[in-house]
Amino acid sequence: MNATIMLGKRALREAVRQPDALFMTMFIPIFFLIVNTGQAAELFPSGSTDFLNGQGYGAFQLPITLLLAASFGMAALFLVEEIEGGYFDKLRAIPIPRYAMVLGRLVAEGAKCIVIASLIVLIALPFGITIASGFFGFLLLIGLTALWGVVYAGFMQLIALKSRSAAATNSGGLIFFPLLFLTPNFVPRDMLTEPMEVAATVNPVTYLMEAMRSLILDDLDWEKILTGFGVVAALGVVMLVLNVRMIKRYD
Amino acid sequence: MNETSGPAVLAEGLVKHYTGRGDATVEAVRGVDLEVSSGEIFGFLGPNGAGKSTTVRMLTTLLTITSGRAEVAGVDIARDPDGARRRIGVALQEAGLDPRQTGRELLVLHGRLFGLSASAAAERAQELLALVDIEDAADRVTKGYSGGMKRRLDLAAALVHEPEVLFLDEPTTGLDPASRLTVWEELRRINGHGTTIFLTTQYLEEADQLCNRIAIIDGGLIVREGTPAALKADLRERRGDGMEPTLDEVFLDATGRTRARAAGEVQEVTA
Repeated sequence: MNATIMLGKRALREAVRQPDALFMTMFIPIFFLIVNTGQAAELFPSGSTDFLNGQGYGAFQLPITLLLAASFGMAALFLVEEIEGGYFDKLRAIPIPRYAMVLGRLVAEGAKCIVIASLIVLIALPFGITIASGFFGFLLLIGLTALWGVVYAGFMQLIALKSRSAAATNSGGLIFFPLLFLTPNFVPRDMLTEPMEVAATVNPVTYLMEAMRSLILDDLDWEKILTGFGVVAALGVVMLVLNVRMIKRYD
Repeated sequence: MNETSGPAVLAEGLVKHYTGRGDATVEAVRGVDLEVSSGEIFGFLGPNGAGKSTTVRMLTTLLTITSGRAEVAGVDIARDPDGARRRIGVALQEAGLDPRQTGRELLVLHGRLFGLSASAAAERAQELLALVDIEDAADRVTKGYSGGMKRRLDLAAALVHEPEVLFLDEPTTGLDPASRLTVWEELRRINGHGTTIFLTTQYLEEADQLCNRIAIIDGGLIVREGTPAALKADLRERRGDGMEPTLDEVFLDATGRTRARAAGEVQEVTA
């Protein structure tokens, strides 16, 4: 565990020394929040739109903003840079548990996501977005965002470890990215067209988004919250098993 | 440093096959036998693609062995890879450094990962920064280091835990002559403290200057092994011209290459 923490600290230092990457991680999701809210807010006025529970449309858009921000992690790109540059082999020649080499970056990614998600929510508050489930709900919201960030970064790391190429890792992200949008991100699931509703229902990210949305718009709806945590935990277990298997077989 | 009796490096029938697309198998190393004594500087030479780096990567636990066995400092590398890793230092062909860490941070991290306490790792980092003469740049990120500084820091990182055997894969490739001489001096000094050095190089002069013994690998097999003097004497005897051969000539003779081929397959063209 010590090695994981040490490598995690290193990854955090690395992120702090690349502030432009952190800026883009926040800028693009906030840009989408503003643009999407600006385009659709008049269609869904807060007073007459039931699913908004009295809040503005921005509150409905906040979950996709947070998920987007958590999905812009640089862990896999830093990892592949290390593989291409030879430092990864240097670490492999040290007697540390193999899992620490993948977990270290994921721990750092989780910590980074906590900071970024908290900042985004704080930026959103003055624009009338509130967290209806209170401070505890805010903590759960940040926790869910961070866990998604870790899971997403873990799947990207798999591509990095398998391909060992920055270009392939970048392209690999495009495979997962549509999952964020095959969700009820503009309207609730029951208002989607049938094909989109089917796609959203089989997409695990939907349940995560609905859990996050319930924390913002409703009081604590434990069924939705536990479903969201359950989905992210299941994906996390799959991601961890695959990562550890991949690093142990790395030749 | 833990001294072990017996050879520092022992390889028996070491084989590495790669399976490419369409199940095509590439035999990178085809049965290497090696024995390097404790305290030696051992040179491992060979043309490009001969199997040098593959052998080093197997001996340093970075590549799995297809067949055969190997021990480093008395530890079977397949059975106890972590045990072997504790006893070896590795500096590979590319100076593998984290570009966003400072030299000091990198050395401290390596010390900590090898189990040193925070204060011991900081102290060891300071010693090594002085040893490789990059104290002035210690708190700058390594991205801005020159090629020579990167090599020296890479070497320092390989020495953090005072390894018994140091593996260096082409440690002076790409360095200017002054930096190369500095690295040679470092290696002699490190070897003077009892560390066995296993060195691959493409520079025959380097092998001649530094190494107690050398092995030449070609096509995945060892084709010559001995002290530079013995290998030269053997060639002189076989040529029978009484002229002292250079190590370049020994290398060309061992690998079946001529100067013309080595220079790029020169052919005579007539109009």
